[in-house]
Amino acid sequence: MMDKKTRDILITNFFAVVLGLLLSGFMILFLKKNPIQIFALLFSSMFRDGYTIGEIFVKATPLIFTALAFAFTFKASLFNIGAQGQFYIGSITAVSVSLLIPSPVAIPLAIILSFITSGLWGGFIGLSKAKFKANEFLISMMSTYVALNLMNYLLRTVLMESKGEYPQTETLARSTWLFKIVPHTRLHFGFILAILAAVTIWLILYRTTFGFRIRAVGQNKEAARMSGVNPERIYIITFIISGGLAGLAGVTEVNGVQHMLLQGFNPSIGALGIGIAILANGNPIGIIFASILFGALHVGGTIMGQLSGVPSSIINLMEGFVMVFVIISYYVRRKWEVSRDKKLLIEGTI
Amino acid sequence: MVSFQGNDMSTPFFELRNISKYFAKVIANKDVSLSVERGEVLALLGENGAGKSTCMKILYGLYQADEGQIYKEGELITIKTPRDAIHHRISMIQQHFSLVSAHTVTENIILGNAKGRIDWKKAQQDIQRLADRYGFNVDAGKKIQDLTVGEQQKVEILKSLYLDANLLIMDEPTAVLTPQEIDTLMEFVREYSSRGNAVIFITHKLKEVMHVANRIIVMRSGRVHGNVLKEETNERELSRMMIEHTMQELDTAQAAGKPGKVSLSVRSLTVAPRREVPLLKNVTFDIHKGEIFGIAGVSGNGQLELCMTLCGAMKSTSGSVHLDDQDITHLSIRKRIALGMGYVPSDRHRYGMVMDMSLSENMLLKASYFSTWNRNGVVNRKKLAETTSSILKHYDVKASGPGALARELSGGNQQKVIVGREVEFCGDFIIFDQPTRGLDLGAINNVHTAILKEKKNNKAIMLVSTELSEIFALCDRVAVFYKGEIQGIFRTSELDSQKIGLLMAGYTHQEVI
Repeated sequence: MMDKKTRDILITNFFAVVLGLLLSGFMILFLKKNPIQIFALLFSSMFRDGYTIGEIFVKATPLIFTALAFAFTFKASLFNIGAQGQFYIGSITAVSVSLLIPSPVAIPLAIILSFITSGLWGGFIGLSKAKFKANEFLISMMSTYVALNLMNYLLRTVLMESKGEYPQTETLARSTWLFKIVPHTRLHFGFILAILAAVTIWLILYRTTFGFRIRAVGQNKEAARMSGVNPERIYIITFIISGGLAGLAGVTEVNGVQHMLLQGFNPSIGALGIGIAILANGNPIGIIFASILFGALHVGGTIMGQLSGVPSSIINLMEGFVMVFVIISYYVRRKWEVSRDKKLLIEGTI
Repeated sequence: MVSFQGNDMSTPFFELRNISKYFAKVIANKDVSLSVERGEVLALLGENGAGKSTCMKILYGLYQADEGQIYKEGELITIKTPRDAIHHRISMIQQHFSLVSAHTVTENIILGNAKGRIDWKKAQQDIQRLADRYGFNVDAGKKIQDLTVGEQQKVEILKSLYLDANLLIMDEPTAVLTPQEIDTLMEFVREYSSRGNAVIFITHKLKEVMHVANRIIVMRSGRVHGNVLKEETNERELSRMMIEHTMQELDTAQAAGKPGKVSLSVRSLTVAPRREVPLLKNVTFDIHKGEIFGIAGVSGNGQLELCMTLCGAMKSTSGSVHLDDQDITHLSIRKRIALGMGYVPSDRHRYGMVMDMSLSENMLLKASYFSTWNRNGVVNRKKLAETTSSILKHYDVKASGPGALARELSGGNQQKVIVGREVEFCGDFIIFDQPTRGLDLGAINNVHTAILKEKKNNKAIMLVSTELSEIFALCDRVAVFYKGEIQGIFRTSELDSQKIGLLMAGYTHQEVI
């Protein structure tokens, strides 16, 4: 028999996705279109050619990173809501490095430095939690706006393109672009980097003593403390790594896709990452697949919008609905578990 | 004694009938029935975690009962929130006060009761008059932060009086008070109840109970275990009702040990948080190698704090701790574990295990910093599983294997896993804090055998227990704790259960012997 927890995850996630589609189906009805036709179009357009399939993985790449960022702190029972901001810091770093050093050396440098700067940005959240018992949820959330405005400020000043017209940087030198891994698509090395990151995070969490300590702190902080673990130190380190992971999404988006940095850059990958991490129940390998699912929805939705006359914002709405239901499902699962425990207890005593 | 009686003696003022409350993982109350009359002071006596507070929080609407009913003067009432409770003239003073420290006494008291425009002058006068009527020396215009703890408690009481409460529930009201403040409080309780009000007094202190209560209900593991009038009982009987489980004969004849050199040495250890009653006061003792040193006492008298301070989780205010001649007073938990200190905590769910992890992972918990099962930080899972299996076998743990989740095991088997871990991987000094609490007979025997075996292995052992049978069966010497102080250290052969019971109730060495 299937483990009850796994069963709960499958059931609740299935319903979350179905409910999300259903609700957005209603929105399509309001536009006097047949939602079944539209959804059929959505799924068929995802796989219409190699380029489009490649796009799915391109879209999935940054989502893997931001979802990993959320999942990693989540394992320590911490909430990093600020992956979006850490992503901006990573983007700023990646674009600065690549503009300063227009040669292939910029790529490894951008990867390392983005990880470090956004890691420090995230580490600050962990530090304030560890030292002042600050609420990491609020601080990480608000730090996103600081990062966003820092980026906008830089795009208007030192990073602004030479003509000085638009709030965006110059296009990066070709030598600093992440190389393509499949010809005739936009699929770039960043996807491999994301898979590597997910596998590494899985290994750290489930195969090393360090990851073990993170999970122990997440599940029972007091027992971990009694075993000599310093939970406060764990807070800081996990936030550094989490921030670093989100920052790597900056490299893949700047050097891999956009080849520049511009205002309003990927504004929702942080939020999507949270939902994806919860959809995958925090499992790094599950995150890869959940990210691809969302990548597919996004790509299919964009094409659907172009072909059917349904505004493409319907797909954002759909993603939003699914996301909200996925997050609610997490609490539903928890409630089920508690009432199951309670039932066992009552049966055991009568 | 009781100057006021209800009109009808057969219907109690308030009554709880068959109340049960389940939390996700524990039974907090099971089938609790109790009642209180007008004019009565009812003491709810029991150890920490016996379910006293939970049951009163149900009456006050902070929790909802899963089963059972509440009656007021014979009529069924529902209490869903504290607001409902206040409507029925019930008031509860929490152990930790709920006052806004930057506000004045008056502001605090009318908080939640004020509507629209407030006539501050009148409110303050009313409250001052109320305070004076009960002889409370409290200035209604002062800010809470400028008051002593005792005065703050009076403000809490005033809050209840201001709401015209007829039933006052007080949760451990004396825990933070000085002896003089306790006297004033007791005077108030008598005065208040003599006016036809009822008081429920939650406590684990026997002396207070005998001092103030008319009737005593003893709770143990979430159930009612005794309901006696004060005149018909004494401290000794109460202490027995509180702590005595089925006194089983232990077939663990004491191995006559000849203790070796001193292993753990504690000198004048004091833990006194600022502006609070000390949790530990001047505690001094030695534990030798090959000796089982007992810590007896009604739970909540400093035993947990002693364990926490010894293992490094709580900072001492003064005094010193040496382990094998090394000063460990200021070392971290991790360093103490490295020096070989083992600790079986009383609350295994909270401090001992990670319930959603496998047994292997729970074994790894204490050893994650040592090279026992990892190379360069990578866990050697095969070796870990093998060792875990052998420990499970050795300690007779009933589990499907090292991969089983800790939460799937029964309490007894969980405890065996913890005992196994601490014994196998820790060095020369082990703390057992109530290691058999809540276990069945088989598991108890198993744990006792393990403890005696470690004694034979010449380890120094500290055994905290509230069960006298356990203390007498296992310990060479015993220190009796009362309010964070040692009442005396004795060879177990010098004591009997009567003497130790009196010491636990706060009588001094001289009074007893």
